[in-house]
Amino acid sequence: MTTQKLVMRSMRKNIKMYYLYFFAMIFSISLYFIFSTLQNDPTIVNMIRASMHFSTAFLVAGILLILITIVFTMYATSIFIRRRSQEIGLYQLIGLSKAWVARVLILEHIILGLGALLIGMLVGALLSRLFILLFMNLIGLETMIGLTFSSQAVIQTIAVFTCLIAVTSLQIILTVYRSTLLQLFQANNQNDYFVKRPRIISGILGLAGLSLIGFGYYVSTMIVDHADLLLFLMLLVLASTILGTFLVFHTTISWILYVFRKKQNGNLGLYNSLSVAPLMHRMKGHANSLTLITVLSAMTITMISLSYSLYYSTENDVRLEMPFDFAVENMQEEASIISSKLEEEQIEFEHFQLDAIRFYGAWVEQESNVDNRHRAFMLFSAEQMAQAGLDVETPQYGEAIYHNTRTSIEGMEISFPKYVQYASNDEVNRLIVSSFRLENVMNYRFHGEQLLVADETFHKMRESIQESEHSEYLTFDVFHLLDTEKSDAASDIFLTNVDSDQYITDFYSAYEGSRQTYGLLIFIAGILGFVFILSTGSILYFKQMTEAEQEKKHYRTLRQLGFQVNDIMKGIIRKQLFVYLIPLGIGLIHAAFALNVGSVLIVASMLTPIIISMAAYIVIYLMFTVVTIRYYRSIVTNAL
Amino acid sequence: MKNKKTPKTVLIAEGLRKSYGLKGNAQQVLKGIDLRVIEGEFVGIMGPSGSGKTTLLNTLATIDRSTDGQIFIKEHEISKMKDNQLSSIRRKHLGFIFQDYNLLDTLTVKENILLPISLTKISKNQAETEFHAIAEILDIKELANKYPAEISGGEKQRTSAARALIHSPSIVFADEPTGALDSKAASNLLENLHEINQERQVTIVMVTHDPLASSYCKRVIFLKDGRIFSELYRGEKTRESFFKDILDMQAVLGGGD
Repeated sequence: MTTQKLVMRSMRKNIKMYYLYFFAMIFSISLYFIFSTLQNDPTIVNMIRASMHFSTAFLVAGILLILITIVFTMYATSIFIRRRSQEIGLYQLIGLSKAWVARVLILEHIILGLGALLIGMLVGALLSRLFILLFMNLIGLETMIGLTFSSQAVIQTIAVFTCLIAVTSLQIILTVYRSTLLQLFQANNQNDYFVKRPRIISGILGLAGLSLIGFGYYVSTMIVDHADLLLFLMLLVLASTILGTFLVFHTTISWILYVFRKKQNGNLGLYNSLSVAPLMHRMKGHANSLTLITVLSAMTITMISLSYSLYYSTENDVRLEMPFDFAVENMQEEASIISSKLEEEQIEFEHFQLDAIRFYGAWVEQESNVDNRHRAFMLFSAEQMAQAGLDVETPQYGEAIYHNTRTSIEGMEISFPKYVQYASNDEVNRLIVSSFRLENVMNYRFHGEQLLVADETFHKMRESIQESEHSEYLTFDVFHLLDTEKSDAASDIFLTNVDSDQYITDFYSAYEGSRQTYGLLIFIAGILGFVFILSTGSILYFKQMTEAEQEKKHYRTLRQLGFQVNDIMKGIIRKQLFVYLIPLGIGLIHAAFALNVGSVLIVASMLTPIIISMAAYIVIYLMFTVVTIRYYRSIVTNAL
Repeated sequence: MKNKKTPKTVLIAEGLRKSYGLKGNAQQVLKGIDLRVIEGEFVGIMGPSGSGKTTLLNTLATIDRSTDGQIFIKEHEISKMKDNQLSSIRRKHLGFIFQDYNLLDTLTVKENILLPISLTKISKNQAETEFHAIAEILDIKELANKYPAEISGGEKQRTSAARALIHSPSIVFADEPTGALDSKAASNLLENLHEINQERQVTIVMVTHDPLASSYCKRVIFLKDGRIFSELYRGEKTRESFFKDILDMQAVLGGGD
């Protein structure tokens, strides 16, 4: 038999084992292809040129994608070589050289890889248009783009693929040359191990694992308040939670299971025999991969939730900063031009004039060392705001409400009531600021901290504040569009009619800007997250597949002893829930704490986007559990 | 077929046939076997390689299905049962001892032994008592918390025997139980089986190619080419002279294996 024939035959025989690996490879390749097609798309290339954010994001995502694909492929390769170690040993036993074996394995891999490359690029080419449309939709661009087949993307993908083949070939050569015949024959026959009775030290280590995670969580809650130590604290949190997670998988879980098992005193029962016992045996060997999976899951969930939250709350966040679509300060002439132009274009709108006072004063702080310099304040009348359509609370006479969207980040002390001191005609030159609202009452481009008072207070203060270089009376012209479909045209009218030197922007332009940024972010996070979850799910599945093969003999024995497939499956499902849900659960809790830290970035509530992202992750992840359980069922059914 | 069984009969096979392969190209392994085992018997099945002894055992033990014929275990006609019903018959009425032990290496000796009664509604105390009684006879009490990888082959096989007996089955099927043991461990196990058969009236059907092993039986059935060739009863003979009879019969059969 020639080498080629042997290769083809063994591939046909192993097709069942390979097919998920094959699909996973096709998937990664097509995602990478889509990614590089996007990277080279003329529309996007223009966008990237315009923004540093975009080009950095694409670069980082590309590198991460390649890294994950390589790590995943190496992982899968090692599992598959191990599963075939007996076959490899057999070839060597009948006198074939190691070089021959390595050559055959590499040949198989290249054939498989080329197939995956071809199909992957084909699928990628077909889907890339869909992805570009999705991307354009996400960032709110409506330019139509034709299907451009990017040869640059092909070259890039082939380069990455060559890298992949080189790495796995090296891995195959190393494995074949390093392992002895004896190791090869025993690799699948790891039945000679037994659980070591844990000593006190493992109890201590088990507790240490839990405490490290707890410590990491505790420190993470302090990050927000100690922004100056940000990097150090973040590294501390990462290190202690990752180490803690590892210890939990390595020791804590087996220790808990051991205690549980000891309590059963030999009467373990079928279900526990199929879940607790094998888990205990394999937990230590699986600690590395389960830690990796947990950390990857936590990362993916955090990344997706955070970017989705940013994207989801874009409109809300921008609206909190810019309550009016258009606003100008002391520019009545421009305002009237704008309104006549808007009328010309038959765009319906509302126009209001708002009075305000800008004065210079200072926060009265309890502690004297706090920076107490004078700053600008803008005083608005709550009744006027309400007339202009804002939903505001009217403070009591003599009191003010402080409106700001940035306080939480800048670390200002938020304990109210506080006082603002200012120069005035009468003696009472302190204004009580009774409370704080996390929203602006005037678009953020205008200078001064925003205070809202009742109309009566407003007029009284207007009389009392000295008109001087320290204060001025202002008139704001604010516009609300009633017809948001023409917002683009309206936005143009507005921007062309105000002095561009003043950096005035409108709600729609600001919204489009952040939508593009966050749209890109969620798109890249989505692609990466997809590849991450696919890798983690596949790794778990491969591992369970191998385990199922190794335990086939157990299932045969159990069937012979008269246990029905369904009884056995109940035990196996219990085990699978452990294997899949423990990393998922710990990953979710990790992510929750990470998101708690990340929540300072976003003004609006993140609850909805976080729940949606987590639910999506859980659903995709559990699909792997279902596939695994189905694989086990076929093994058990055919065991007898 | 109507059959007036005496209450003591635990296993009846009538006209048992088994062939492998597709029609036209089928190879008959069992060519019509009639067999009756009564309670408390210790039956050995011998025969040369390819005579069908393991197939017969697997068919009787409901692990394999017969092509034709009827099998009764107690009152249950098993040849037409569904898989799940067969499982329940095995779990309630049958015990198994295999050549390669088939212990679950992730479980301790005690956990392995108690496995067959894990789905029955048996109290913890009762399970504990059963375990101690059987472990006492088989001398494996000290091994209770050891894993299979930590004990010897003979100990493994005695564990396997304990597992086969824990649920007080109607019949224990043993497939070459001494095949992987050295002679001392083998005679140890056979003594144990003999003792259990005598004292607990446990019915045992054992396939073996070892004349020494079958000399512990009360009756030995010889198979040749898928048919029962002959039977030997031990009666009041000593084990040594029964052993000689078995050797003589093997010489007649030819093919010592």
